[in-house]
Amino acid sequence: MNKKQLKFIFGSFIIVVSIGYLVVTGISKTAVYYLTVSELLSKGSTVYGEGVRVEGKVVGGSIMKDPYTLKVDFKITDGNKDIPIHYEGVIPDLFKDGRDVVVEGKYAHEGVFRAHTLLTSCPSKYESADKSQFKTS
Amino acid sequence: MNEIGELCLLLSLGIAVYSSIVSVLGEKRKRKGLIASAENSLFVLFVLITISSATLISAFLRRDFSVEYVANYSNKDLSLFYTLSAFWAGQKGSLLLWAWLLSIFSAVVVLQNRNKNREFMPYVISISSITLCLFLALMVFASRPFELIYPPEDGYGLNPLLQNPGMVFHPPTLYLGFVGFTIPFAFAMSSLLSGHLGDTWIKTTRRWTIFSWFFLSMGNLLGAWWAYRVLGWGGYWAWDPVENASFMPWLTATAYLHSVMIQERRDMLKVWNMVLIVVTFCLTIFGTFLTRSGVIQSVHSFGESTVGYYFLVFLILTIGFSFYLIVNKFSLLKSNNELDSIISRESSFLFNNLILVGAAFATFWGTMFPVISETIRGQKLTVGPPFFNQVNIPIGLALLLLIGICPLISWKRSSINNLKRNFLKPFVISIIGGIVLIPVGIGHLFAWLSFTISIFVVSTILIEFYKGVDARRNSTGEGFVKALFFLTGKNKRRYGGYIIHIGVVLMYVGITGSSYNIEKEATLKKGESMEIGDYRLIYKDLANKMPIPTRIEVIAAMDIEKDGKIIATAQPRREFYKNSEQPISRVYNLSGLKEDLYIILAAFNEDNSATFKIHVNPLVKWLWIGGIVIGLGTFIAMLPDRKEKGGMQVIEKGKKKTESRISSTAYCLLVTCFLLFFSGSVSALTIDEKYMPLYDELSGKFMCLCGCGSLIKTCPHQDCNFAIPFRKELSTRIQTGETKEQIIGYFVNKHGERILSAPTKRGFNLVAWITPFAVIIIVGFFIKRIIHEWATKGITEEAKGSDFKTQDSLDKYKKILEKELEEFER
Repeated sequence: MNKKQLKFIFGSFIIVVSIGYLVVTGISKTAVYYLTVSELLSKGSTVYGEGVRVEGKVVGGSIMKDPYTLKVDFKITDGNKDIPIHYEGVIPDLFKDGRDVVVEGKYAHEGVFRAHTLLTSCPSKYESADKSQFKTS
Repeated sequence: MNEIGELCLLLSLGIAVYSSIVSVLGEKRKRKGLIASAENSLFVLFVLITISSATLISAFLRRDFSVEYVANYSNKDLSLFYTLSAFWAGQKGSLLLWAWLLSIFSAVVVLQNRNKNREFMPYVISISSITLCLFLALMVFASRPFELIYPPEDGYGLNPLLQNPGMVFHPPTLYLGFVGFTIPFAFAMSSLLSGHLGDTWIKTTRRWTIFSWFFLSMGNLLGAWWAYRVLGWGGYWAWDPVENASFMPWLTATAYLHSVMIQERRDMLKVWNMVLIVVTFCLTIFGTFLTRSGVIQSVHSFGESTVGYYFLVFLILTIGFSFYLIVNKFSLLKSNNELDSIISRESSFLFNNLILVGAAFATFWGTMFPVISETIRGQKLTVGPPFFNQVNIPIGLALLLLIGICPLISWKRSSINNLKRNFLKPFVISIIGGIVLIPVGIGHLFAWLSFTISIFVVSTILIEFYKGVDARRNSTGEGFVKALFFLTGKNKRRYGGYIIHIGVVLMYVGITGSSYNIEKEATLKKGESMEIGDYRLIYKDLANKMPIPTRIEVIAAMDIEKDGKIIATAQPRREFYKNSEQPISRVYNLSGLKEDLYIILAAFNEDNSATFKIHVNPLVKWLWIGGIVIGLGTFIAMLPDRKEKGGMQVIEKGKKKTESRISSTAYCLLVTCFLLFFSGSVSALTIDEKYMPLYDELSGKFMCLCGCGSLIKTCPHQDCNFAIPFRKELSTRIQTGETKEQIIGYFVNKHGERILSAPTKRGFNLVAWITPFAVIIIVGFFIKRIIHEWATKGITEEAKGSDFKTQDSLDKYKKILEKELEEFER
């Protein structure tokens, strides 16, 4: 192997390593747990203060909205257990009872999940999932 | 009517299987008849799939809700424009569109290569046919566009989100890009299979590559534009898996676009290019798999379906097969050159490639991370936009810097003096620019870097243009504009490329603007106001409207005040659709070159107070402008080079590739030399004007047997010891007055039938040639019979459900019936 090739290998090595470094640090800084409600509860105190993403269904009748301050409290469930969520911000169009939602935020000590992001999975999946809803009348 | 569509698909599948086998068989057994038959099959496929698509379009236009797909994606109120676009609104239609485009492209490739690249074509035909098989099989077995149901009164309607011009053009544009990469991939594979490992496959597919790359870029950009205008969350890119799925092939395609230049020029990186085109093709399939399979949670994916797994299997087979081929021919793919210096154009291309592929890898890793972490650690972890931004911003900046450096470094090796001379001006300009921009950059290091590097890149490109124009003016005395015009025209690829780079820089500027976004939310009562950036917004009024029976609009009116003057009245809206529980926000966007004021009506209350979400997004418009500039640059780069006339000047062509390397003055000199040189060799082949057409025709009928795989007419070798004597003999025979048949007969006797570029249409050849067409006619007859039978079987059969009904749709029907009965009893 001559000197020239060595230079190239060195240059490429630097690029590969720095991209690798970016990916690794990026992951360790930004990765969050993706959990179901039960998984979150079973983790208990280990996830306090850590970024977590939780999926679940909105419990019927649990939504309490304050339209003027853009705050909403509700509960989500995975069928077995439920947890209270507190969210501040603009509420997505599709947010309502029984809807599948994903919240991102932190699970606080008082047992309330403080969400900074609230996503509803669209029923508008371009392919409508439930096709029995044709209007036949 | 719909049965025709279904039947055409079924037939196409048969023919696609036939042509994928027969073409390779023809090559192995050296039977040109079979290859011709496979070529015809591709034309037939094009016709069949076109009929099938036309059938679906007509079903939409006829509002035939007995077709499940039509019922699901349109209704009676849908306008003509969106009814047509509903064709690709769902999965089944998308598959059909994909197959349709692929059949068009394949037919075009066959037409383009009637007289050249004969050694590649059998495999190219086979590979495109196999890819077509995948889509056809899906449509025949898994996801049938013509599936029938008990027709509902009215269709379910098109998702209102998709009722937007951006969404009408986004999918087909993206598909044009995705499908287009099948062609370079097919040529790459056939170069491995046929053992012609030169750069013919790259040159042949250069325009296809640029074409596909362009549409892929535009598809992504249109998607972003649509998201910005319609989804109403204030941004245009969210690093959603679906977006990443189309971003990754774009990255590798961009890398490929650059690295093939090294192979063309320096005969290096052969394996790398093969790998890149395979990866790009696989990523287009992978993207489809990702969006259809539901493997990754995405807020806007297609519903989960088994279709994804067909793609997965195809993907695994493709990867296995292509890498087996590459490894198999590895020793033959050795570079004939090596990199001379680390400061050379080649090495900067190489690093640009590494960075692009690195970005693709990082994006892939982030997208797949939930799956990866779950497999390895049993923990489902996920990463969001912060990850992608954190990783891709530094990578993007390094890339931007390379865009600027690249044109300044010469091929092979750059001397230090050379570098100093080229770098000095742009360097000084960007330093000055950087200092001026310091106030903007405080607290935004990356943004400042991005702007400063952008200045550097733009100045290098402008200096390149200026130098070229200057040299040309000195030598020709032309005016500035004229010189610029001819400079670009002479060197379309190079200057087109520079224009594309300017477009990319403009896009960087637009994207960088997002560092300065401001966002505010507020609930206002009538008459109240809020301030954001330089604007003051006064909420005036809330009104209801019902423009069509299926849609209600709620419109808020807001005065926009800037510097104490009212400059516009904003009317953000919310629309409610009868058939969709999802309301749509229609954003009001006051767009300018400096910034966009983006107003969303997020909610409204009974007391007429309303919640607004307001963004000030600086420089966004430059992203779209950059897209248009890229379009312009691509257009220039794709314009054909001056056409060669007749068979004899073709020799010049081989020298063409040198042209962009040499500055325009030197180029003129060189061409004159070449012309003088070749006028000598050409003059040896004098032929009377009146025999020219016959000579042209005949030289196009014979193959050159020197191994180049081209015609006698187009053999690229200047000193070919087959084509040149052949041409001479041909011209003498023509001038002695022999007829066409006599001449053909003479050469076939002399060299055997393999000398003919197209097989004679006799005997077995004739049968093979006709087969595809015959199949169509016979089948057409059958279709007629079947339709007739169905028509006479009567309505009872139809109500029960025709043969096409799957268990699935029967169940659905049952459900509807039960529901109706229930309602009736109540």
